[in-house]
Amino acid sequence: MLFDSEVFEIVTRSIAISGTATVIASLWSLPLSYFLASRHRTELAVSIIEALVGIPTVLIGLLLYFLLSSQGPLGFLHLLYTPQAIVVGQAVLVTPLIVSTSYRVLRNAVEVYGELAITLGASEIQAMTIALRESIPGILASIVMGFSRALGELGIALIVGGNIKGLTRVMTTAIALEVSKGEFEKAVMLGLILVVIVVAISITLRILKRLSTY
Amino acid sequence: MIELQSIWFRYPRQRSWALRNVSLVLNRNEYVAVVGPNGSGKTTLLKIASLIYRPVEGKVLVDNRDFWSIDSDEKLSIRRRVTYVHEKPVLLRGSVLHNIAYGLLIRGISREKALEKAKSMLKIFNLEYLIDRNSRELSAGEAQLVAIARALVLDPDIVFLDEPFAHLDREKRSILIEVLKNYREKGMGFVIATHNEYMLSSVIDRVLVLEEGVLVEDRKV
Repeated sequence: MLFDSEVFEIVTRSIAISGTATVIASLWSLPLSYFLASRHRTELAVSIIEALVGIPTVLIGLLLYFLLSSQGPLGFLHLLYTPQAIVVGQAVLVTPLIVSTSYRVLRNAVEVYGELAITLGASEIQAMTIALRESIPGILASIVMGFSRALGELGIALIVGGNIKGLTRVMTTAIALEVSKGEFEKAVMLGLILVVIVVAISITLRILKRLSTY
Repeated sequence: MIELQSIWFRYPRQRSWALRNVSLVLNRNEYVAVVGPNGSGKTTLLKIASLIYRPVEGKVLVDNRDFWSIDSDEKLSIRRRVTYVHEKPVLLRGSVLHNIAYGLLIRGISREKALEKAKSMLKIFNLEYLIDRNSRELSAGEAQLVAIARALVLDPDIVFLDEPFAHLDREKRSILIEVLKNYREKGMGFVIATHNEYMLSSVIDRVLVLEEGVLVEDRKV
C-alpha cells in the first residue's frame, strides 16, 4: 500500500518541522516588520530583506552545515542531522518572506489606520492596537505563505537534516530519495500529498484575503 | 481656538511646498469652508489644523499653546477635542455600530453608554438600517456618513470634514446639511474642504480660498 504508516509519519513530521520553523520565524519577523513599518527611511533595509526572499535553500543549508558541523562554531550543540537543525534552517529561510510580506500589510495599516486612530483620539498604544487589529488577516496570510515555503524546500532538509529514516526524513527529501531509487509511484504519491497541502494553503490564503476586506 | 502661524509644509521627498506661509485662526462655533482647485493644499491645511501633520515651519497654537511642543499626554487630551474625517472614508473592520462607538470606547466610556450614543447618532443620520451591517458592505455614500457620524458622536470642539459631499447623492447631501445646521446650536465648529462652496452657502460663516498652497482669501459670509 502506497499510503502506509511511513508516509503518514513523513507527512506529519514535515508539517511539524515546517510549522515549528514558521512559528519561530514569526516570533522575530513580525516585531521586525512592525518596527520597519512604523518608522521612516527603512526602504534600504526592506529592499535588502526582499532580495533575500529568493535566496537558494541549498546556500542556507550549506552555511548552516558549516556552522553546525563538528568543526564549526556551533558544533558543540550537536544539532547537525537532527529535526532541530531543519527547523533552524527553515526559520532562517522564511524570515525574509514573512518580514517583507507582513511589512507591506503593516505599513499600509500604520499609514491608514494609524492616522485614523489619531483622528479618533487614540493614544499611541491604542493606535498600534488598531493598526495590528486591521492587519490580522494579512499577517496570517503572510505566515501561511511562510509555512508553504518551508514545507516545499529541499536544500536545507537534505544538507542539515540528512534524510535519516524515522528522524529527519521529510516529504521533499523522501521524494528525492524515492526518485533516486526508481520508486516513482511512491514519489508521485508524496508529491501529490505535498501539492494537496500547498493547494489547501493557497485556498486558505484566498479565504484570508477575502476576510481582510471585511 | 486653533491658530496657525506662518505654516510651511511639504511632504517627504518632495521639493515643492504644499502650504506656504499660511496664517489663520479657527474658532469653535464657526462654520468655515476651505475651497480651491485640486492640489491647492486643502487636505494638507485640514490635516495640519486638525493636529495630524506637524508643519515643517511655523506654529500651531491651541488655546494659545504651541501644540507640537507640549508633552504627549496633553497632546492626546487636546487631540480628543478635534476630529478629522477623510475624503475617502476609512472604516474599521466590524459592524457600523462598532465603528461609531469605537472613539467613545477608547475614551473609556462604558460599552453600554457608547453603543447607546452610537445608536442615537445613526438615528440622526437616518442610518438605523445599517446598525448591524458590516462596514465593508456599505456604499461609498453610506460609508461617508458613517465616518462623519463617528466623528460627531465624540462631541468635539471642531470637526474637520474633507470633501464630505464627494460620495453623497442628493438625499444624503440634504441629510448632512440638515445635520450641520442642527449642530450649530451645540456650539461645535466645522471646517469643511470642498470644491463647491455654494452647496454649503446656507450654513457657512466664512470662506478660506487656497491656491497653490497659499491662502489668497479669507472672507466672512
